[in-house]
Amino acid sequence: MLEPVVSKGTSQKNNEIDSKEILDNTSISLLNDDLRKVVDDSLDGVVSLGLTKSKTENEIATILEKFRTGLNNLFSKESNWTFLKPLLLTLETCVKCQTCSNSCPIYESSGFLEIYRPTFRAEILRRLYSTYIKNSHPIIKKIRERGIEINFALVFRLAELSYRCSLCRRCSQSCPLGLDNSVITREIRKMFSQELGIAPKDLHERGTIQHLAKGSTTGMTPEIVRDNVEFVEKDLEERIGYRVETKWDDSGADVLLFQNAGEFLSWPENPLSLSILMDLAGIKWTLSSDLVGYDGVNYGLFYDDVQLAKILQKHFSIAKKLGVKRIVVGECGHSTKVFKIISDRLVCPEIPVEDAMTFIERIVFSGKIKFDPERNFFPVTLHDPCNLVRNVGILEPQRRILRCLAPKFREMTPNGFWNYCCGGGSGFAVMSSYNFNEWKMKVSGKKKISQIIDAFKNEIEDTNIPKIVCAPCSNCKGQIRDLLNFYSLKERFSLHFCGLSELVVNCIPELKEPIIDFSIL
Amino acid sequence: MPEIEWNGMKIEVDEDGFMVNPELWDEKVALALASTDGIEVLNENHWKVIDYLRSYYKQYGIAPMIRKLCKETGFTLKDIYDLFPSGPAKGACKVAGLPKPTGCV
Repeated sequence: MLEPVVSKGTSQKNNEIDSKEILDNTSISLLNDDLRKVVDDSLDGVVSLGLTKSKTENEIATILEKFRTGLNNLFSKESNWTFLKPLLLTLETCVKCQTCSNSCPIYESSGFLEIYRPTFRAEILRRLYSTYIKNSHPIIKKIRERGIEINFALVFRLAELSYRCSLCRRCSQSCPLGLDNSVITREIRKMFSQELGIAPKDLHERGTIQHLAKGSTTGMTPEIVRDNVEFVEKDLEERIGYRVETKWDDSGADVLLFQNAGEFLSWPENPLSLSILMDLAGIKWTLSSDLVGYDGVNYGLFYDDVQLAKILQKHFSIAKKLGVKRIVVGECGHSTKVFKIISDRLVCPEIPVEDAMTFIERIVFSGKIKFDPERNFFPVTLHDPCNLVRNVGILEPQRRILRCLAPKFREMTPNGFWNYCCGGGSGFAVMSSYNFNEWKMKVSGKKKISQIIDAFKNEIEDTNIPKIVCAPCSNCKGQIRDLLNFYSLKERFSLHFCGLSELVVNCIPELKEPIIDFSIL
Repeated sequence: MPEIEWNGMKIEVDEDGFMVNPELWDEKVALALASTDGIEVLNENHWKVIDYLRSYYKQYGIAPMIRKLCKETGFTLKDIYDLFPSGPAKGACKVAGLPKPTGCV
């Protein structure tokens, strides 16, 4: 059974709170005996997929056959024209130096569990590739390559193992050869989804399928989303005395904004803050109420090319139909990655795309809006969403803004391209089945929560001082909320979180009340 | 599928602990579901939240936004967490017999 690192907190000088003590925790609970009879937990006792164990011989044969076909398709140019090149590059070039293992937060937080090494699942795929696909000379095969046999246990365990990496790409950042093990993880997930129909329910049925059928991963229909947005506009007006008027489907607009629809349900101040900024800067913007258009997410990025392409096509066709000059992606990391650097692998994007960070930066420094940074006189630290920062390269705009508008801003350590994932990356933030949530809290999220506590070390115990983690990504916010709740840090240390837009709008003096209200955060 | 057992009653739940057959929900089921989050008694305030969630769900087919829930019940988000330690989505919705809220919420 998986044993996360148990660090016995040593007594600290000046009685400083030590994040290690708070996170000192027991191992993850196994499923109960009845469930364990049915659900496969043979990898590490943790279950994200809920694959059922009992299979007839015929069923097993079918699964193995599909897996073989899947492998062939994964390594064929015709089927995998999207990602075969980066996949082969990492598979063929890695020299197994293990530099990446030292940089993987999940491997470290698990207490160095061997199967979590970034190179472990890569090696499984490499051996499968060598045994079943690559046609090396028998002598080369004997000296240089190792084989592995496909069997049922391997197939199910490999499926689970592809959901023990959050695709944060910290390993890739450290690789001396610039290789990317996250591509391998993601391609394994893709093979399972496209060929065997194995994918987490929260990403597939409740995610992309629902997104395409109902219009949003949240299940909101166009009517509900419009009704909800109107409600939060009124609610905000009552609080801060400013009325946002969302324009829907305005073909005269310059900017079409793709917000993560979950923001409206859970953190409406975030999208409304960006609306306020656009209004005050005199930008002509619109939201789409077309199916799929009012939800900018694209969970296909995490596990499936077909779903990824379907949603992407829909997003671009909506923008084209409206005739906008530009697409702006809200504060959502994976969606930014899809639009900025993945889209041209799958479709032919005809409309320029801008991310929220540079967009907000231009507004803030345009001189069109007056700010009073003293309204943000509380400790603020910044979480770097992996997709936004390491994976797309947007590092400086959000820092430039915070240095100007948040007088008590401080960095976490490490940060920027060397940040740690919140632990909810690659869809983990929305996955919580069986004991997977506990794994997210105790293993994949451990590094982040310890960084957050350490960033506020000097004032952590003073609950009169509210502290904010600025996390400009919906997925990260969901995970950080769950971490703060799991470790009771909100009440204990007055720790809060929000996006970047709220911190900007919070210091606009012409608003009657600050938009950040700690009592409702 | 997992099951929860409570006072001799068996309820089929999904992998997240939400009801598989929400049409079988009643007040006893709510107590059973609440017990999985360590809530032993459902008081007047719990019911206020549950009733609102159910009536909204009946009308719109999804869970309401958190801000609406707070405004309509008069509770702060902290109150909701005090009542349902797993929070409005994973806690309150589950006890009220709604399906698990989806998307980045």
